[in-house]
Amino acid sequence: MTRFEELQQAIIDGKAPVAKELTDKMLKEGIRPGEFFPKAIIPAMDEVGRRMRECEFFIPEVLIAARAARASSDILRPLLVGADAMASAGTVVCGTVKGDLHDIGKNIVAMMLESAGFKIIDLGVDVTAEKIVDAVRTNQAGLVALSALLTTTMVNMKSVVEALSAAGLRDKVKIMVGGAPVTDAWAHSIGADGYGKDAPAAVELARQLATA
Amino acid sequence: MNSRERVFAMLEGRPVDSLPVMPITMMFAADQIGAKYFAYTTDYHIMAEAQIRTAEEFDFDLVSAIAETREAPDCGATVEYFDNHPASIVEAQALLADKKTLAKLKVPDPLGGGRMHDRVKGIALLKQRACRERIVEGWMEGPCGAAADLRGINALMTDFYDDPVFVRDLFDFVFEVGMLFARAQVEAGADVIGIGDPAASLVGPKLYQDFVWPYEKKMVDGLHALGARARLHICGNTRRILHDMGRLGCDHVDIDSMVPMEEAREKMGPAQVLLGSLDPVRDLRNGTPQSVYSAVGECHRQAGSRYIVGAGCEVPRDTPAANVNAMVRYARQNHAGAREKLSH
Repeated sequence: MTRFEELQQAIIDGKAPVAKELTDKMLKEGIRPGEFFPKAIIPAMDEVGRRMRECEFFIPEVLIAARAARASSDILRPLLVGADAMASAGTVVCGTVKGDLHDIGKNIVAMMLESAGFKIIDLGVDVTAEKIVDAVRTNQAGLVALSALLTTTMVNMKSVVEALSAAGLRDKVKIMVGGAPVTDAWAHSIGADGYGKDAPAAVELARQLATA
Repeated sequence: MNSRERVFAMLEGRPVDSLPVMPITMMFAADQIGAKYFAYTTDYHIMAEAQIRTAEEFDFDLVSAIAETREAPDCGATVEYFDNHPASIVEAQALLADKKTLAKLKVPDPLGGGRMHDRVKGIALLKQRACRERIVEGWMEGPCGAAADLRGINALMTDFYDDPVFVRDLFDFVFEVGMLFARAQVEAGADVIGIGDPAASLVGPKLYQDFVWPYEKKMVDGLHALGARARLHICGNTRRILHDMGRLGCDHVDIDSMVPMEEAREKMGPAQVLLGSLDPVRDLRNGTPQSVYSAVGECHRQAGSRYIVGAGCEVPRDTPAANVNAMVRYARQNHAGAREKLSH
């Protein structure tokens, strides 16, 4: 097993202390920080996503795997400079919309996007459209990911799309939406760019939208 | 048959004149009487009025005191209320953010004037007003849901791996709270107690078997010992835990829309009474009366005769009345064996 494979395994198994220790060790051995994402962290979380889709992994396993990925990436991010830093997949502003306090789905999507190389600006829950507009502008984000778990709050996704348009930012960002009552048809009807039915689908969608 | 006779006959495996109809309604019911949801969930008189008028208007077989958690706020959890939709736990201020707090928590009195007491009084009123006709349903949080309300759902999910001893201690606590609450509801007149355990669909079969199932089983057995019927409602994708859910001994089990009814029937055996699995948004709210009627028929076909009509989860508030009527019309035009006869 190579070092990268060892790190992948530690992440998939949700062993954060092992992932951290391995990352430190690999850096001391001279491995470049930029190599970790394509060779260990991204493939590990892709495997976690696959297992989630196949119902081999459930929320607890995904959360501990994402925590292990973060234990590694937290060490690496400050060290990413020059070409490595430029390799970021993009910046995503995410949050659960106004009036809605559900956050576990949003958190999992955020952690999986982070592990896929995106920079995440997580605004939390009960987030106003104005706050999202400000965060997009401040961080020059290319993506907005919105979550809603209630039919009564999903309408607030539309307000976010409208606020981004009113702020003149709509053509600068792609908007993706998700959550139990949300559908592909709903995404289209409010003028969003896509719908992710689960966390792995959201990562796939974000990759497509970021390169579109 | 009146509603009570019909539901009990279905639960006991006797012939029925039509399929029972027992959908979950909360915001939909509040809207029927023009009440804001905040009023519905904080004033049992309004809840009871809304439930009775909704059941009468749409010919439902039950009235239900279901709403958001009552146990967690009475334990001391911070809950945020909204003007016109359900309250939520504020996870950033989770009561058990520090696990050591659990040892200091007191089991609240369900008749102590708090949120649980509001539901108990609501059940007494429902019983008084609807008892001769309809089933009166009470509600309690299942172990996983109740634990998540106190600890925070994100933290609980990792606790399963990080601190299983704490999880069991927490489940012991919420079980005690839940059963006291259930007893008060049954004594107030509840015929059925629904166990709502949505967080249970987030864990896989192993954690479900090891942690959640034993406590759900104790709740079901405890409800039966109190003389009540037990309904299990785990929203979300339960495909990997269906078999175990079928071993709980529930009187009926709700199946959410992510689960094909035929799979639930196969995994849970021919005797289990099933309810669902109409997609509340895609089938019921967004459909047409014709498509709703067909979708219920398809659920019935897959579930077979031991079947109660309802959506996989709460009827969304802006569901057209014509769609709800179509759902009920299917039930009234089809008794339990009708599908089997048609297919021969």
